[in-house]
Order: sequence, then C-alpha cells, then structure tokens
Amino acid sequence: MNAAATTAIQAPVIRLESVSKAYMSGKNAVQALRGVSFEAKAGEMVALTGPSGSGKSTLLNLCGLIDAPDQGTREMSGQAINGASGAALTRIRREKVGFVFQAFNLVPVMTVYDNVEYPLLLLGTSPAERKKRVLDALDRVGLAGFEKRLPDALSGGQRQRVAIARALVKSPALVIADEPTGNLDSATAAQIVDLLREVAHERLAAAVVATHDDRMTRYCDRVVRLVDGEIS
Amino acid sequence: MKWLLFACKNVLRNRRRALMAMLITAVGTAAVLVGSGFALFTYDSLREVSARDTGHVVLAQHAYFDGDEDMPMQNGLAGATELAASLRALPGTRAVLSRIQFSGLISNGDKSAIFLGAGIEPLVDFQIRGVQTGFVAGEPFAAGAAAPEIVVGKELAKLMKAKVGSSLTLLATTTEGTLNAVDVTVSGIVTVGVPDIDKRLVYADIAAVQKLLLTDKVSTLSVYLRDKDDTDAAAASLAAAHPQLAVRSWLDLAVFYQSVKALYDRIFGMLGIIMLVIVLFAMTNTLGMAVAERTREIGTLRAIGTYPGELVRNFMLEGAAVGGGGALAGMAVAGATTVALMFARLQMPPPPGRSTGYPLLVNFSPALYIAVGVAVIAVSAFAAYLASRKAARRPITEALAHV
Repeated sequence: MNAAATTAIQAPVIRLESVSKAYMSGKNAVQALRGVSFEAKAGEMVALTGPSGSGKSTLLNLCGLIDAPDQGTREMSGQAINGASGAALTRIRREKVGFVFQAFNLVPVMTVYDNVEYPLLLLGTSPAERKKRVLDALDRVGLAGFEKRLPDALSGGQRQRVAIARALVKSPALVIADEPTGNLDSATAAQIVDLLREVAHERLAAAVVATHDDRMTRYCDRVVRLVDGEIS
Repeated sequence: MKWLLFACKNVLRNRRRALMAMLITAVGTAAVLVGSGFALFTYDSLREVSARDTGHVVLAQHAYFDGDEDMPMQNGLAGATELAASLRALPGTRAVLSRIQFSGLISNGDKSAIFLGAGIEPLVDFQIRGVQTGFVAGEPFAAGAAAPEIVVGKELAKLMKAKVGSSLTLLATTTEGTLNAVDVTVSGIVTVGVPDIDKRLVYADIAAVQKLLLTDKVSTLSVYLRDKDDTDAAAASLAAAHPQLAVRSWLDLAVFYQSVKALYDRIFGMLGIIMLVIVLFAMTNTLGMAVAERTREIGTLRAIGTYPGELVRNFMLEGAAVGGGGALAGMAVAGATTVALMFARLQMPPPPGRSTGYPLLVNFSPALYIAVGVAVIAVSAFAAYLASRKAARRPITEALAHV
C-alpha cells in the first residue's frame, strides 16, 4: 500500500458489532454468523476468506445492507442503521454501496454504457454529468470505446470490468465484491484484483471482497478469515 | 425516456413471446374497435332516421304526449299556421312541418282495412324524410290537389289491390264524433322497411285530412334544425318561449333508437370487457414468465439501489410497451377493416320485424380509438404490476441466489 493510501484509511465506512445470523435449512436452523464484529475503513480493501459455509457471503450481505442480522448492530459512515426501513436501506445502497458479483450480473439488453449509467440514473444525475462519469469510469477500467457493445459481446474479464465500472461510477463509500475473480482465468483475475484495489485506494472507498482465491488475498490490505461463522 | 427505451429493449428479449402477446392484444383491440365502430354506425344511422322522422324538436299540447284522446284531435294544436310561421323565423331553423296523426278505415269498395295515417305537407315532408321513405311505385302527391291523393304502404297497397292511380276511400271519425269519408287517388306506394307499418301506412295532404276530420288543428309541429347538435338548446329555448306547449326532442321520442342503443351498449360493452380480460390474462402470463426469468437481475438491481416500486414501474412500462404495440397493430387492422367495408358494400340481413337490410359499415371514431388504446395499455400495465409486485419485494439474497 502506498503512503497516500495509508493516510487515506480513516474512520470505518462499515462497522458490524457482534452480529449473528441464522438461516432455516429445511426444518433446521443453520447459524451462519456467531457474534462477529467487523469493520472496513475508507481506502481499505479487506478480503473475507474461509471455507464454503463459513459465513463469508452472509457477512458480505450484511455489510452490503442486502440482508439484516438477527442480533448485533451495524453502522455505515458512523450512522447506526439498525431498525432502518427497507426504503432507507435502499437509499443508502443507492448512494453509498457498489456491488461486484461473481457472475458479473450485467443487464444483457443494456449496452456497456447503459449498464454503467444505471446507478447514476437512479441517483437522478444530470445527463451531461452522467455521460462524463460513465466515460471516465469506462476509461478507468480500460474499456473506453466499448460503450455501445452488449455484455454478450465481451469476454469474462471485460464484463467484470464493466461491473466494476458500474460499482464505482457513483463514487461509493463501500464496494462489496462477491468472488469477483471466481469466473476468470488467472491473468484476468490478477488484473481485476489489481484494478479493484487501485480504484478503492484512489477513490477512498472501502472494499470488502469475499474470495476463495489466494491470489486475491495478496493484494488486500487485510484478510479476515471466517470459520464456522466466527472470525478465526 | 431512458426507462421506456430500456422497457422496449426488455420486451425484445423474447421476441416470439412478446409477438404472441402483441398478437392477442391486437386481435382484442381490433375486435373491440370494429364491433364498437359498427355500433356507432348503427347509432348514427338510427339517430338520423329518428330525427328525420319526428323532426329535431316537436311541439304539441301537453296532453298529446301524456294522455289519450276521447275524440280525434282533442289534444290538437290550434293556431298552428301562425305558430309555424314564428318558428320558421327563428335562427337555425331549416323547416317547420305541421302533421296530423289519424286513423280509420281504408276501402277499395270490396274490402276495408284499418290504416294509420299521417297528414303531412307533402313535398317538403317527403324531401326531408329522404331515403327512409322509399317509393316502390309512383311519386309524392302535390298539396292542394282538387282530387285528394295519398301515398300508401306497400303491404297495404297489396291488401287493397291498389296501384298508382287506383281510387280508394278513407273513412274516419270526425272531431264531432261523426263518420266522414273522402275519395282519394293513390299517387305512390312506399315502404319503410317494416312490414307491419307498411300494412297500415297512409300519407295524405294535411289540408285534406283536416277537411276529413272537420278541424283546423294539427297534431304536432316538427321543427327541423340546420344542425342536429343544436337540438337541446333549441328545445330548451322553445320550452321557455312556449310554456303552454309540450316540447320534446327527437331523442325523447326515439324509443327504438334508445332500445337498440341500450342493447348494443351492453353487448359491445361486454365484448370490450371480455377482450380486456383476455388481454389481462395474456399479458400477465407473458410478463410473469419474463419476471421469473429475470429474478436474479431483479436481485441485482435491488442490490444496487433500485426501489421495488421502481422495478414494478419498469415492468409496467414493459407491459405498456407490449400493450401499446398490440393496440397500435389492432388499430391498424380495425382501420383497414373500416376502409375495406366502405368498398365492399356488404349488407346486413334484415333485422327481426323488418323487410330490408342495411349496409355493413363501421364508423371511425378517433375518440374511440384513443379510449380503447388507453384502456389496453392500462390493462397491460396493470398485468405487469400483478406479475412483478411480489418478485420486486422478494428478499434480495433470495433473488440473487435464484438459478
């Protein structure tokens, strides 16, 4: 990590305190997380690792505000969000959280430009500002000139770059990435991890990445290992 | 605009399915427009016939419309000539016609039959009634002929074995309660397309009828306006100016028109509802499949900050796009059918109780097209709402895990 990035790491963007979460699997309750405390700071890239079923995705979902804990508290940028309504959580995600998925999850009928523009449309950004930010984001991920292509016409690595551009175009405080290299070859995966790290540091976003990929953990500022729903 | 563009792109994801939904919508739209257009043509035709028959506004004694007569012309209108002259002077008036409704026996010397007669101002009355009074032989009689002439219905002429030029005798009860008779010559034979009316119909010169009935009264004064749309205003104005008289519009007296309209409104209204329900089912099915296929995408869009309501709105736009496409196609089909029928000159068979058919034509009504188009689009959007509202509120983690 360079010096500028180090100084950029400040107060936690997301903080979870003693959170627990259980799921019903058939008639049995499965305890996915047991009193886990976790935080990620601005400009910091944190890897969540652990075996399958260890609770990585559950913790990632709680960080990304797309799931709610059974117990414990959450704060986003210092603001407690326990008890927030679904609409309020959606508003926070819209403004502050970017997502990168393993399967890219781009909208197939939208062009690259439209996919990246979508979060800005939700925010009501002006057309001129949208265009500038979309082109900047695509340029940043190395996809300038690909604006009119459809996702199906791109390679896996290019699609993931589009997904990263979509996550970053609104300058989120937090980027949630779930196995972002899971569907990519080694060389492309390295590029994607490097890109995520650079962008997180540049834009002072906290990045939380769930991964099985050891190559990825080497690029992260911090690695949190989960085993049986607890941080080991 | 962007959202509508995205909706259109989403519609084209599964073209065959979207086309099928559009086809169903188009057929439904075309059926409603053609059916309703036919009803509108029928209404227009019946309105025209009714207004021509009675006049746009009819004036008479109150008792003429509300009560029975013990003696002929008991409820007749006195001083009709002066009143008609004053009415003719009103702006917007095309003609004012005096009429006497009377009945009696008609005889050819060998046999007699009951007739229902109308004493009219011949040339003007026949001209104004126009096409509905179809002469099958002879011609209208002239007013004030030395030897009174009549026009008889086709079936009555057959019953009386009368031809143009035949001599017949009209026998009627006078206003004094006595019987009076007048010899008449048949100048023409007509049909109004209703055999039961043709069997009794007699038109005679109003002056001759007054002489027969020993009266100078008339039954009604029919006011024909230059513009039918002025009827209500003219009726209100005349009612205010002549409070001692009953004033009725053609619509008040058009019992047949109102019955047909009430019937057709129900038939074609029900057809419209059935078509909209079919469109609703077709669209719900189509969009339901689209929503199910895109569950993961819904989860993604929810995760990145789309409100459930916004997702539902987007699906409603998709529904509206499919419905709008189908509605436009249906309108095109209905429009083409309307034009084709104008050239095809097809005839509907005679309705029950009538002897003549009528043209199969369909009216083009921009208001109807807009109303049906809006209804189809609204129903399609509602179908999309039904199909997407649950999926849009599904937990995001579940939606993202959907395979």
